[in-house]
Amino acid sequence: MASTASPGKTAAALVAGWVLPGAGHAVLGRLRRGIVFFVLVMGSFGLGLAHDGRLALYSSREWLLTSMQVLANVGVGPADTIARVSVYGEPAYVRKDGDPDPKQEARIETFRVRWRSALSIYGTAYLWTAGLMNLLLLLDVWDLSRGRKD
Amino acid sequence: MASHFVHLLLYSAIVAAFFSVLTRRERREQLRFGGLVFFGMTGGVLVLAYLMYPFPR
Repeated sequence: MASTASPGKTAAALVAGWVLPGAGHAVLGRLRRGIVFFVLVMGSFGLGLAHDGRLALYSSREWLLTSMQVLANVGVGPADTIARVSVYGEPAYVRKDGDPDPKQEARIETFRVRWRSALSIYGTAYLWTAGLMNLLLLLDVWDLSRGRKD
Repeated sequence: MASHFVHLLLYSAIVAAFFSVLTRRERREQLRFGGLVFFGMTGGVLVLAYLMYPFPR
């Protein structure tokens, strides 16, 4: 049976895994696997950004769908926030339709421009896949640290 | 890059590599499972595409 990690090490691995995809596995001593996961998750994320992937914005009009989309984006860690700052000019996660604030209008317009891009369907799939893969990796880190997996 | 087919290959390769490393430990097993996922995804999509071909857009 595989060994169990201490609660502190488990927490460190989970946080590291979210901050840097694959780092959770490295913390638990699976460095090579961690590097492979890093390349796959960040490769998918990079492809998503390169293909005008939509960085989802939460909207109260479609709260369930948009919150799941944001969750899929956020799964990849702080890289998502950095991407939002580069795309929207700020760490934007919410859109308020009808809000006269010029910042909100600019945010929605940026979102629409990416939406209209012919490449956006590919890019969005890559972005969501990257985030969901990293969330699965966190579950794997949890299993490894609990000794349920080798 | 706007080719559906290239993205199909690329996306399938990423997903196949990810799940093979995540769920299999032996190199041989990883290659077998990864190949199965990759060809399952690409083959499945191509079969589906041919089945849909007679239908109007």
